[in-house]
Amino acid sequence: MFNIDRRLLKNFDIIIFATVLIISLIGVMTIYSATRPIGDEAHSVFYIKQATWLALGIFVMLLSVTFDYIWLGRLSSILYIFGVILLVIVFIAGRIGLGAQRWLSIGPLSFQPSEFFKLFYIIFLTFKFSEIRGQLNAVLLLKLFFTTTFFPFILLIEQPDLGTALIIIALFLLIAIAKGIQRKIAILLIIISLISMPFLGNIFWGGLKEYQKSRLIAFLYPESTHSTIGYQINQSKITVGSGESFGKGYIHGTQGPFRFLPEKHTDFIFAIFAEEWGFAGSFLLLFLYFVFLMRGMETALKAREDFGKLLALGITLMFLIYFTINVGMTLGLMPVVGIPLPFMSYGGTALLSNLIAVGILINIKSRRFELFH
Amino acid sequence: MNKKRAVILNTVIIFSFFIVIFRLVDLMIFNHKILANSARKQYIKVEDIQARRGIIVDRRGRELALNLELDSVYCDPQNFTRENEKLGTLASLMGQKPEAILAKIPEQGRFVWLGRKMEPEKAEKIKSLKINGLGFLTEAKRYYPKSNLASHIIGFVGVDNQSLEGIELKYDKYLKANGGKVIVERDAGGRILSSGVITEIKGNNIVLTIDEVLQQIIEKELDKAMSKWKAAAGSVIMMDPFTGEILALANLPDYDLNKGSSANASERRNRAITDCYEPGSTFKIVIGIGALEEKILKPNSLFDVSRGGIEVGGKTIRDVHKYGVLTFKEVIQKSSNVGSIMVGMKLGKERLYKYAKLLGIGEKTGIDLPGEVSGWIRPPEKWSATSIGAIPIGQEVAVTPLQILRAYSAVANGGYLVTPHVVKEIISPDGRTIASFNDRDKIRIISSRTAETFREILKSVTEEGGTGTLASIDGNDVAGKTGTAQMINPATKRYSKEKYVSSFVGFVPADNPRIAMIVVIYEPRGQIYGGAVAAPVFRDIANQALSYLKVPIEEKQNKPDIVVMR
Repeated sequence: MFNIDRRLLKNFDIIIFATVLIISLIGVMTIYSATRPIGDEAHSVFYIKQATWLALGIFVMLLSVTFDYIWLGRLSSILYIFGVILLVIVFIAGRIGLGAQRWLSIGPLSFQPSEFFKLFYIIFLTFKFSEIRGQLNAVLLLKLFFTTTFFPFILLIEQPDLGTALIIIALFLLIAIAKGIQRKIAILLIIISLISMPFLGNIFWGGLKEYQKSRLIAFLYPESTHSTIGYQINQSKITVGSGESFGKGYIHGTQGPFRFLPEKHTDFIFAIFAEEWGFAGSFLLLFLYFVFLMRGMETALKAREDFGKLLALGITLMFLIYFTINVGMTLGLMPVVGIPLPFMSYGGTALLSNLIAVGILINIKSRRFELFH
Repeated sequence: MNKKRAVILNTVIIFSFFIVIFRLVDLMIFNHKILANSARKQYIKVEDIQARRGIIVDRRGRELALNLELDSVYCDPQNFTRENEKLGTLASLMGQKPEAILAKIPEQGRFVWLGRKMEPEKAEKIKSLKINGLGFLTEAKRYYPKSNLASHIIGFVGVDNQSLEGIELKYDKYLKANGGKVIVERDAGGRILSSGVITEIKGNNIVLTIDEVLQQIIEKELDKAMSKWKAAAGSVIMMDPFTGEILALANLPDYDLNKGSSANASERRNRAITDCYEPGSTFKIVIGIGALEEKILKPNSLFDVSRGGIEVGGKTIRDVHKYGVLTFKEVIQKSSNVGSIMVGMKLGKERLYKYAKLLGIGEKTGIDLPGEVSGWIRPPEKWSATSIGAIPIGQEVAVTPLQILRAYSAVANGGYLVTPHVVKEIISPDGRTIASFNDRDKIRIISSRTAETFREILKSVTEEGGTGTLASIDGNDVAGKTGTAQMINPATKRYSKEKYVSSFVGFVPADNPRIAMIVVIYEPRGQIYGGAVAAPVFRDIANQALSYLKVPIEEKQNKPDIVVMR
């Protein structure tokens, strides 16, 4: 299973590794600045925790380069089942009086199972798609939808983790399209989703929690509310805008530590970075993400076989979706959905699972010349 | 996945990055001003305050008005929860009902004062409650350490340091700390992160011409006289006759400057410059000076006043006592009304009016205190048939005590009309002299010879046979004049039979005057004559003032037999 040779090291994609490492370090720095103590506050430990997770994550990332990724395909069913079980446990824990929750605690450790689940889901999904030879028809697609996506989607909606739920649906559709469905099915899917949107929207709206509704209202009318989500969007725009061209300078930002911007070290970390580093710094950061995503696309294109292609594509698309939604939300282009910015937002489980995903990407890239075992 | 799809996906990625970058340009470059401003508005609160008002000191640097640093509490309504369990404690500490406090706090806005300039221990207790949305600022509260002293000169300020009276009002633009701003940095919870005065511009300090000790002396003696004569009111002004510097100025009733807002109008009135009265005999200076300056008379010119009365326009004006033939000097010394009217007739109304005007009657003196009135004297063309019998003896005219004092100062200083003033210098916070008023306008109005001659006449007033003997002091000559005038009853518009204004105006030492002073007692009971009521006050004040000023004792020219031991 383990197979580290010179060729692997030679083909190791140092650019993916470096961009992710730099972005993650910027993340730790920005978390420090966002949560730095003001006045007589106690020192916040967020940045130390994040740095610890980063160190662990880098290790696990390198570890996930060592074995041939094909093994992931072989183990994908087990991983998927394990992931679903985790979701069920969270769901049940949420039912028995703990309220909506995304966390599981095992001793002193607490983690977000949905973060791991989405990784297992991508592996399982892309493996299932890669197994299909020939044209993908509607029956097959429906079958795949029910085997891979339907159940976890319901669990995630009920959890509720709307963000992850929508992302797995989006990934399913995108992978299906990438795999190559008939044009008429693709068109049909698009038409169905367009037609069902208002209808589904209605059911959807009825099923939404109050805070989810207010997020949508706030997105549509950002100035309308001051104390709720509209306030968040407004604050985020203010934070970004006050960075101006060259920023206020590192640890000179005010909106985060002064607690005007909520979720400053998690969902809105990009705003904090923009405030301190200005347009110039933000542009460079975006460039790092861009390079990383393009490398991911290249990996998908160059992978030696179908599973590798789809898996690399799935991972890259996942990062793309996360990135776009998070930055779009921070800049007031999208509704507030509680989705973190990959590698930067505070959160150990997410960082760890994202770094593993990067490790898999590098793995696929490194083994693009190897023959199938 | 084929190449075509990869190209589409790459395009999607590039496209989404373009959107993000456009949005960044929009927010961070095109709209950064608005957004950065709203950020600043959120965490920085700029509050205008009257930072450190200048202090007021007397001519020797003794502090009369200064600032205490006290805490004020304010509320940021956006961070204050109305259903607060600590509200009750807060209310009881502030001595108010909880509803009253809530009523002060609006729904909108980010700043409202709850309590201003509180006592330190009270502020500490409120601070220790740690209520969200409450903030504290140190403010300067005006404090007048001498309470009532010189209240009508100093004046006071309100809770926002808005000037309301006296020097505080008149010199407000120098005293006030312009553009004082407090900058408060606070977080979204309303927690104050830092606060400080960034633009502290201290006010300028004002040095008064007042001498605190002299002020205390006149206030004490005026108070004594007020109780002795059960008088309604009284004023004393002491001035340097050469410069116009007011050394002391007091009125009764007065008020505690620290409780200025609760004082009533009568207590706040600076009668010495805002109230007119008919001067009576002290006004005889006008005919005296006029006759001497015009060389119509000499001190020994004779007047037959033996009839005891004189008929003017069908009305007879009488003297208090019957005299025989008096010299001009004796007319003034004994304050003969008949003689004075005769002098006035000789002078004629045109010249009488001219000298009244020259001596500053009917004109504001220009003193640097608010509320001064000009008084009035009727121009000759409007005189009635009886006016020539009234005006020479100080009726049908309205003057302020300060106007009369200024006229007598012209005699004391050799013929100059001075500009009375209470501010000596304005000093900037860093010690520079911004303005100095040591050389105020001084106009020669009469010859020094006339002044000299009239001074001799005034000296005789306090000597044996004069009306003001009670004003004489041991060791130094006093020159002065008594005055007694009936007040006009506002109901009947006629002279009242009970209400008088008794006054004495003069200067001492007569030949080398250090102080000029007027004492005016309104509505004394038991005695009405200036010589009896006001002259002793003059004497008692002059005695203490001269010894405080270390004025050397001169042997009196006409009483060489008296040896004064001090």
